[in-house]
Amino acid sequence: MTTAGKFLTGTTAGLILAALVGVAPAVAHHSSTPFYDATKKAEVQGTVTKFLIRNPHSFLYFDETTPQGKVEWQIELGTAASLTRTGWTAETLKPGTAIKVSGQPSRAEGSHGMCCARITRPDGSPIMQGGRLTEEQQPPR
Amino acid sequence: MDSLLVWMEGTAIATWVRESPSLWAYPTILALHSFGLAVVVGASTVVDARLLGFGRRLRPSALKGLFPIMWWAFALNAVSGWLLFMADATRKSAQPIFYVKLGCIAIAIACVALIGRRIPASGDVTPGQGRVLAIVSLLCWTGAITAGRFMAYL
Repeated sequence: MTTAGKFLTGTTAGLILAALVGVAPAVAHHSSTPFYDATKKAEVQGTVTKFLIRNPHSFLYFDETTPQGKVEWQIELGTAASLTRTGWTAETLKPGTAIKVSGQPSRAEGSHGMCCARITRPDGSPIMQGGRLTEEQQPPR
Repeated sequence: MDSLLVWMEGTAIATWVRESPSLWAYPTILALHSFGLAVVVGASTVVDARLLGFGRRLRPSALKGLFPIMWWAFALNAVSGWLLFMADATRKSAQPIFYVKLGCIAIAIACVALIGRRIPASGDVTPGQGRVLAIVSLLCWTGAITAGRFMAYL
């Protein structure tokens, strides 16, 4: 068998094996890539629970307190690179930070997601100011 | 299986790919993945097109030199693809469209290997020889790229 032949056989077998083994459902997870409705706007106040800075998209989670109990919101944000470059780090939105978020709501029924969000303190004042950041710097989408 | 995926996602290299703000992490690996894709599918398309009768002035044996380049580019994509998979293993492994992509790649790459063996070291191919392989290869590359892109939306 040629080198290319061996390479091919090994790789193809690996790919098929991966496909067969992987078909079993993996861990439960939040809905895969959500879709958002640009014609609607959601505005919610709450408390930050998690700020996951990652690629290809970062996510901010916060809890809204409603008469029926807590509702967890998931905000889709930009890449780790773009957030960090504009000054948004894990320190910017620590768990417990009170925020107001307005953005486009997720289309998925029963979900609480937003994208393209504007994030401020509950009174509408900016989260970050000064330095090399422009006032009211918003997180990249 | 789930614990293996979770472990994979938690490795230092997977965490770096997923969480590093550096342009050398996710953005560069994704760029390399696109680069490898362009070379493999580009070269494969040239060979397929010749087998389908385009560019008949070109000796098929001259295209043999493209195959090592395709294998190196495929290796680059196997490595970059693994890194991207590890960074998001639990979610990607739960996406049916991901297996469509892998299946298309497996078939397309098998076509490339079979075509590589059938092209004579000298002389022409007989008209129509390798036509089915060329068509399957083109269809599967189209499917693999589409499925790969759709992973971000499904």
